[in-house]
Amino acid sequence: MPKRTPAPKTPTGKTCKQMSALVLDYVTDRLSPRLTREFEQHLRICPDCVNFLNTYKKTVSVAGSISYSAIPAKVRNNVLVFLRKKMQRILACLVYLASQFTS
Amino acid sequence: MKQGCFDGPCQKDKETFMSAANHFVSQTSFSAAPAASSSRTALRPTQARTGISPRRSNTAAAEASLITRLKAGNQSALEEAFNLYSAKLYNIAQRILGEAADAEEVIQDVFWTVYRKAKSFQGNSQFSTWLYRLTVNTALGKIRRSKKNQEVEYDEFLPKFQKDGHHLIRPVIDWSDTLDEKYAAQEIHILLGKALDQLKPLDKSVIVLSDLEGLSDKEIAVTVGLTVSAVKTRLHRARLFLRGKLAVQLGYSAA
Repeated sequence: MPKRTPAPKTPTGKTCKQMSALVLDYVTDRLSPRLTREFEQHLRICPDCVNFLNTYKKTVSVAGSISYSAIPAKVRNNVLVFLRKKMQRILACLVYLASQFTS
Repeated sequence: MKQGCFDGPCQKDKETFMSAANHFVSQTSFSAAPAASSSRTALRPTQARTGISPRRSNTAAAEASLITRLKAGNQSALEEAFNLYSAKLYNIAQRILGEAADAEEVIQDVFWTVYRKAKSFQGNSQFSTWLYRLTVNTALGKIRRSKKNQEVEYDEFLPKFQKDGHHLIRPVIDWSDTLDEKYAAQEIHILLGKALDQLKPLDKSVIVLSDLEGLSDKEIAVTVGLTVSAVKTRLHRARLFLRGKLAVQLGYSAA
């Protein structure tokens, strides 16, 4: 079994596990300047975290590229018919009630 | 509504109902013009990606007018809202539910609720956020009732670390280019769609609103009723799970 190399740490002592918890804010530029600096220092010495970050970003980008599909015409028509019927029923009730008051 | 008022002469209620009836009579025509035929209301994919609420001030004014008319029970306003938002909400519902037939029911329920409850919209959030909330809640309710969700345990697909904080399995492979080399875009979307369906419903809602629809964490928090911090935790975990699923699909370790 190959000998494990020790976990790379930034000068502040942050580990890969701690870095992985910061990825979400790092990819959206919401880390503080100090944490951003530490994150990037860690990336410079840890190829595993670079690869982890690349695959995380790829996952987000794939999700964001899922295409936007139009509502099918049949669904659109079905829902409109439903809404019209419901509103016409309310209208009929109101007209009836109004006629009761006026009579 | 007090039943007694219908039985006897009650002038105030009589006037109220006459006014309501007259208003409804004046709104009987329900325009059948499809959204796609209107360049004003049709949403382009690029608009859709950045959110459903039109950003320009003139459209903001139009939206305010739409809300006012909806609150007054105006039927054509409901169709206008439907033309503006139904495609977007349908996509969200379908992504959360994973089934087109159920998404149709969700949209139906949402717009009927919009019509009945428009007066309860206080304007504390954007109108679109309110619509998102109705859609997500209706979809989640449907999942709870159907118990059809195929969620799996996340742990197998999350990164793992040694006691000293280093990655448990090394080297971590960068498969980001391999994914595109091995699969066509359509196939990748199908793979991701299947992985999405294995997320817990609330996590799926968060990732759909964030990564697919482009809402901010704050907007998502308002929509799903969580704190921003809880949204970020769920989003991160869901992304890690999806990343793990893609890695395993390519033959690599999720860790």
